[in-house]
Amino acid sequence: MIKTEKVLHLKSSRGRKVRVVREHYLRERVPCYSSLCQAECANEGKVLSGDVTHYVVPDAGVARDFMEVLEFREIQGVVFTQTACQAVQHTRGRRQYNRLRSLLKDPRHDCVLFANEFQEYSFCPREKGEPQDKWQTRCVYQAAVWYHDHLAGLKPIVMITEDQAAVVEYGSLNRGVYILSTQEYLRTFWPGLQAAQELYCSIAQALQERGSEGTEREYTEHLPAEVLEAGIKSGRYVQGTLNVNKHRSQHEAFVRFESSSNKSTELNSDVLVCGGKNRNRAVHGDMVAVELLPKGEWRGRTMALTEGQGEEKGEETQSQVMPTGRVVGILQRNWRDYVVTFPPREETQSQSRNSQRILVTPWDQRIPKIRISTQQADILQDHRVIVRLDSWESTSLYPNGHSVRVLGRAGELETEVQTILIENGVHVAPFSEAQLREMPVSSSERPWTLDPEQVVTRRDLRDTHLVFSIDPLGCEDVDDTLSIRKLPPGPRGPRLELGVHIADVTHFVKEGSLTDLEARTRATTYYLADRRYDMLPAVLSADLCSLLGGVDRYAMSVMWDLDAQTLAVNKVWYGRTLIRSSYQLHYELAQALLDGDEADVPELVKLPPGKRDVQLAQLIEALETLTHVARHLRAQRDSGGALELEGVEVRAQLDQDKNITALVPRQPLEVHETVAECMIYANHWVARKIQESFPQQALLRHHPPPRQEFFTQLQDSARARGFTIDTRSNKALAESLDRAVDPQDPLVNRLLRVMATQAMSNALYFSTGACPVDQYYHYGLALDRYTHFTSPIRRYADMIVHRMLTAAIAMEKGAGPAKASASSKELEELAQHINNKNRAAQHAQKLSTELFQCLYFRDKDPQSDERCVANAVIYSTRANGMLVFIPQYGLKGAVYLKNREGEVVSVMQDGRCEWKAGSLLRSLDHISTTTASGTSTFNLFQHITVQISVQPSRCHSDTLHLEVVSSKPHRTPEPQGQTTPPQGTRGRSRLVQEVVRQAEEASQQAEEKRGRASRISREEREFRQSKVPNLYCLLEEVRELALLDITGCGVGLGSAAQPCSASA
Amino acid sequence: MAGLELLSDQGYRLDGRKATELRKVQARMGVFAQADGSAYIEQGNTKALAVVYGPHEVRGSRSRTLNDRAVINCQYSMATFSTSERKRRPHGDRKSTEMSLHLKQTFEAAVLTNLYPRSQIDIYVKILQSDGGNYSAGVNAATLAVIDAGIPLRDYVCACTAGFVDETPLTDLCHAEESGGGTSLAMALLPRGGHIALLQMDARLHQDHLETLMEAAMTACKSISKVLDQVVRQHLQEVSALTGE
Repeated sequence: MIKTEKVLHLKSSRGRKVRVVREHYLRERVPCYSSLCQAECANEGKVLSGDVTHYVVPDAGVARDFMEVLEFREIQGVVFTQTACQAVQHTRGRRQYNRLRSLLKDPRHDCVLFANEFQEYSFCPREKGEPQDKWQTRCVYQAAVWYHDHLAGLKPIVMITEDQAAVVEYGSLNRGVYILSTQEYLRTFWPGLQAAQELYCSIAQALQERGSEGTEREYTEHLPAEVLEAGIKSGRYVQGTLNVNKHRSQHEAFVRFESSSNKSTELNSDVLVCGGKNRNRAVHGDMVAVELLPKGEWRGRTMALTEGQGEEKGEETQSQVMPTGRVVGILQRNWRDYVVTFPPREETQSQSRNSQRILVTPWDQRIPKIRISTQQADILQDHRVIVRLDSWESTSLYPNGHSVRVLGRAGELETEVQTILIENGVHVAPFSEAQLREMPVSSSERPWTLDPEQVVTRRDLRDTHLVFSIDPLGCEDVDDTLSIRKLPPGPRGPRLELGVHIADVTHFVKEGSLTDLEARTRATTYYLADRRYDMLPAVLSADLCSLLGGVDRYAMSVMWDLDAQTLAVNKVWYGRTLIRSSYQLHYELAQALLDGDEADVPELVKLPPGKRDVQLAQLIEALETLTHVARHLRAQRDSGGALELEGVEVRAQLDQDKNITALVPRQPLEVHETVAECMIYANHWVARKIQESFPQQALLRHHPPPRQEFFTQLQDSARARGFTIDTRSNKALAESLDRAVDPQDPLVNRLLRVMATQAMSNALYFSTGACPVDQYYHYGLALDRYTHFTSPIRRYADMIVHRMLTAAIAMEKGAGPAKASASSKELEELAQHINNKNRAAQHAQKLSTELFQCLYFRDKDPQSDERCVANAVIYSTRANGMLVFIPQYGLKGAVYLKNREGEVVSVMQDGRCEWKAGSLLRSLDHISTTTASGTSTFNLFQHITVQISVQPSRCHSDTLHLEVVSSKPHRTPEPQGQTTPPQGTRGRSRLVQEVVRQAEEASQQAEEKRGRASRISREEREFRQSKVPNLYCLLEEVRELALLDITGCGVGLGSAAQPCSASA
Repeated sequence: MAGLELLSDQGYRLDGRKATELRKVQARMGVFAQADGSAYIEQGNTKALAVVYGPHEVRGSRSRTLNDRAVINCQYSMATFSTSERKRRPHGDRKSTEMSLHLKQTFEAAVLTNLYPRSQIDIYVKILQSDGGNYSAGVNAATLAVIDAGIPLRDYVCACTAGFVDETPLTDLCHAEESGGGTSLAMALLPRGGHIALLQMDARLHQDHLETLMEAAMTACKSISKVLDQVVRQHLQEVSALTGE
């Protein structure tokens, strides 16, 4: 069966030298994973392509130190040897090794692992007294020779090494096997790959520098891993993730626990880590072990607002003391790529007298400065560069790193956007050719057609159902369509059939295909303020999957057989269908049709008038029935306690010349809610279905109930206005929020809702096997089971759910228990990945919005420009200032009442504010300043006037600076008037509603809410795909004004109508 | 060292085997002339010696005598030099006692004890070198020794261990795999009838995986039985050649 041989190993464990004998089995047939293999190896999975000029075999040293260079996708035909992989595993730790493993697994990289040590002829035992690196080099060389012979010399093999002696020793032994140093290799074979060469140089330099470091100890040494492990078990140390305070990155960091099983019960809060010495080289995000300091040294957290990165001196206002500790060891580094900025020339010179080492400042304020060595410091000054951390020795004040890629000059739009993407871990390379090759062809010469096989297996709804879509104007990726029709009366009276038809993306994207992998890594479409990165290639998202009007499309449908009177569900049908959408409506048009206003439906214009009226009547009837059903569904959820939440959004209205005339909230139309409600309903029913079919591995979405203590701020603020907020359940919260309305100031309710939203955690995907049943509940929507099903074009989770639903249907049809696509553990990991990516996408979107806000205000002079002065509402107070909300721009920010010189803001008779020496007093609902000229008070929810200016920052993102100008409102609060929708347009729908109200008492509540100011439910925001006039238009305009170089942006006109709001 | 990778992505184990491959097995019967039966086995680096005396009269206290069948007496011990650090107590410790008991149970199930009422069979097993799977090497050696002694058995008793790593069952674990955490299941099987003589596992394993794990262990036991059968046949040939029959 196998040939056996034995080798001796010497290894030490627990300090003692122990002689360990291990067996080592060799075999003749080890798969080579090359498509050129002549010996018919059992090559499964990934195979090296044959159309490269050569194969490259990196030796152990190269794999260990220069793996990043080999990560370039352009470098093809890489054969990693087992010897090299083991060297990586042993010397660089698990993280690096896992990276190598995922590299080997990734089908987009042309590299394989050859198990050379298990191959009879390529293995060479280590000789007595042979140094390890020599032996490794010999092994790798032997493997390269074997590989060459195995392929019968069809491909030249290049072995790369850093060991010059090896080049000399083995260089001329064999024909067809060449040995080169890495640098030489890159220069000869990849002269076009400048980036790889630069990366190589930067790593090499970093390696060189590492040897020559001072011996002065700056930090205490970390404890060894065994001690840490024992200490954590015994409860002496606490394990957790380090979180650095963004505003006080030098001083304050907190450690959040991973496990809840803390032995010491007093430790239910985070542990504070004060100062750099106590933090002991831990970087934000690292998993650390913390030792608590004696209680006498415990400190509180600083409560004051800080201005910029200024160092605050003197007495600090502190909260009560909290557990304080120091880092004794690091369990797992969590370093990622960081964006840094090179200092300008003067600084460079002073820092780099002895060698080219410079300190660069990361964009993320939580990361310490990084020392890197480079020769390009002069060229790169004021550029933003991606940097990776290498090490942080106890003798060095700053961590060492090396540069990876140059992004561009700081302050340029493209650089800043790239920075935001990288800092959030978003990688969006254009789709590769291999991926696009998988796509079906659809061009004007060769239009895509239906597959006759599919037509047979699918339920054909083209002639039987009136299908239509309602989307924002100009939307091109139509995920969802609706249908409603009357069914012949059943035994219990008349019946209705409501249908939701979703684009069948999984028909085109097969599981495990390259496109699927890419979509999985992206997990979602990324919407930035000025652009969009699609999850799927455009041929799918804008054409074949998009349920456009008048063309045949595949769909995944859910259809309910409803009782026309009670709207109780008789039967639900799930399945794949074939549809042709008759009308592609937009929200405004649909609402106009509902209200009975004159509106032209583009699909009907060409028809003769008689026919047109019939069809129009049909459509309107369908819309009305749909609205009726949606109201009922909404009422059902409301009685369960569904919440109306509020986020902050900016919307701008433009005139013909694209000038911003005003900022108006979008008219909340009832039809928005109708569509959203149908989608929620579909999601809910699909969740039920897949959970029943796969109780252990269904992908659902839950929204955990918020922790009560997070509501304190909301309750305190509400009390200031005399409202009480009951937060015991979601229903109580929804009702008390509805009551908390100030007739004079609608903003109060809006702000309270914003605060309620902030108190809540995000909804998350999870696998049913990983969570107890009572945690499936969706708090915000008040549904016991929920998932995402309706937007497979822009969310990967929906694609998973589609596949699950398909499997569930197949199972029902008697195909036996369908194979579960993934185990619960895998699914849970995938769910976490999608959650992380969604968070990253949201964060990136928020940052890009802020970026554009700054660009907007950047070239306006705050002193003279009218637009820089705005009305603001105070919603929270702090020790030295307050937090305000500017409804006009949807901005939130801090306003300082005390500056660094100790002066405070004093209000004059006419409301104007001035800086004067004085003191500051803060209480729960107001903050007052006392100066020589008297006392002035700022109350919660008071309207004040602030001036907006941009605070430029070289290394970080620019921030907006707010300064109080007057304690009076800026002008008659015009934006507020607009927040209440004009009553006229709603008159008719009101009448209709009166009728419904009698039938459903519960829906009354919902109607009242609907009449109120612009609160947009989170779900609605989610399903609405774009809004016009919108932020995009504002920013597009800003960009044209502010930036000359926009050619690189590459945003087509098509995407102009497409920015979506963040998914909830 | 940060946790050994017991099963690589390419499906190799630490020593280069695939998941279901066994270590190399070599065995000899009749290594000692003084005893009634004896055998020596090597399973990879695990080496075991088994010696059988009997059936003979019950020694020691007469009260142990059974009137309907023979008493089986097992003793398991490990040589002081069998591990990488010298072992202080070669036998009589808790682990050896437990192992002796397991061996006894195994062979009570396999030996046709009712043929020898009021007598005793002694089985001594010594592990000369330990590298995982001590129990199975001991059982396999004892089987050969019992056969060598000419004591009738229901079937070969074949033992093998199996573990579970990354949702894959591994068979015939070596020391590094056994001590690297995770489950280890020891099984002694009478292969022809598929009767399990002993099954032992003392770590956690999800119920769903037990079936696959047992399946793997059974296949491994059956492969071992083939090897043992070959050894017995070869031994017989040699012996019959020597005696000139």
